[in-house]
Amino acid sequence: MAATDIPTHDVIMIGAGPAALAAAVYTTREDIDTLLFERGVIGGLAAITDMVDNYPGFPEGIEGLTLAQQLQQQAERFGAVIELGEVSEIIDEGEYKRLKTTSGDMLARAILIATGSDYKKIGVPGEKEYYGRGVHYCATCDGAFYRDKKIVVVGGGNSAIQEAIFLTRFTNHIDLLVRSKIRASEVLRHELDELVEAGKITVHLNTTTDEIVGEDNAVVKVLATKDGQKTEFPTDGVFVFVGLIPNTQFLAESDIELDEVGFVRTDKHLQTTMPGVFAAGDVRSGATMQIASAVGEGATAALMIREYLEGKLEPQSEHATEASVAQL
Amino acid sequence: MVKNITIFTTNTCAYCAMVKKYLDTKQHKYDVVNLDEQPERQAEALAISGALTVPITVVTKHDDTQNVVIGYNLAQLAPALA
Repeated sequence: MAATDIPTHDVIMIGAGPAALAAAVYTTREDIDTLLFERGVIGGLAAITDMVDNYPGFPEGIEGLTLAQQLQQQAERFGAVIELGEVSEIIDEGEYKRLKTTSGDMLARAILIATGSDYKKIGVPGEKEYYGRGVHYCATCDGAFYRDKKIVVVGGGNSAIQEAIFLTRFTNHIDLLVRSKIRASEVLRHELDELVEAGKITVHLNTTTDEIVGEDNAVVKVLATKDGQKTEFPTDGVFVFVGLIPNTQFLAESDIELDEVGFVRTDKHLQTTMPGVFAAGDVRSGATMQIASAVGEGATAALMIREYLEGKLEPQSEHATEASVAQL
Repeated sequence: MVKNITIFTTNTCAYCAMVKKYLDTKQHKYDVVNLDEQPERQAEALAISGALTVPITVVTKHDDTQNVVIGYNLAQLAPALA
């Protein structure tokens, strides 16, 4: 134990999305004292996803919020504690890491960074000005305000298609603006095709969003460039799903190495450049941005943390041996 | 002192669940207006907050002053409850 009055834990996990919750199931089942810190939603982006169809074990799919709640219940059943708050800094003090948090300083022998990612902004005029008043990044939160309305959805990946499909339960019509081409799974493409056939969605490929325009405090249209030609889409609101940005701003001044985009670099043991600090899930450089892989990485990170706490894992190194993985 | 709290929510809103969880941990009672079940109250939510989003948390104090917190925002919600 650290000789201090500062709250001290074996492991503090920053974030409480699928990666951290899965890791917490593993650590707490081994009686490793585990605290999770969440500044946003327990379950992360999974919790605000309408339906998760590709997570194994749920043949009919499962609502993202339900999956998140079940992951949380499972972690808490074994003793994981989730605190609502934010971590602003990690300081390496040797055996213990000090965390600066909204609840004051805390110490931990090991840390898991599992802060995930957030939806990226497009970065066009009008986007910031009308955020929450016509520009949205959460269909399950804000879709209900667009009953019988006409909206624009921006994006062409899995998230954009999934959320556009969800939004059709409220809207009259959706213009889907896709910068290049659709990059979604076959299942989603099939569902999209049916909704296009039914006249609920119109897909606009090779279309760049240029500006979101409002009048009288409400969004009225999107200015775009389609196949090189300027065009307009009258709309009541805009939902944006154009990729992910890692939640690593709090690490910018730390000794933890990030890649060129801001994701956390780890070795094959999921350990960062700060010994005893691990990363898993969407925040990790090389992550595949899938709930299933986040859960897998969380489990792996937990096992590596156990090795670290038992003194069996070396600091991040290219020389880490295959044997240390095999011994797990 | 808090007199009453009303949260505007929807069935699928994860951030709404977080606001409820936070209020539960602080042992505050609250009323819920579910806009999926009462869509006719959307205009009220918009008028109170100026926002087309949930959660919207309305904290009314004993002197009838109100704090309106848009989204799951602990930095605003915590002082509003003080």
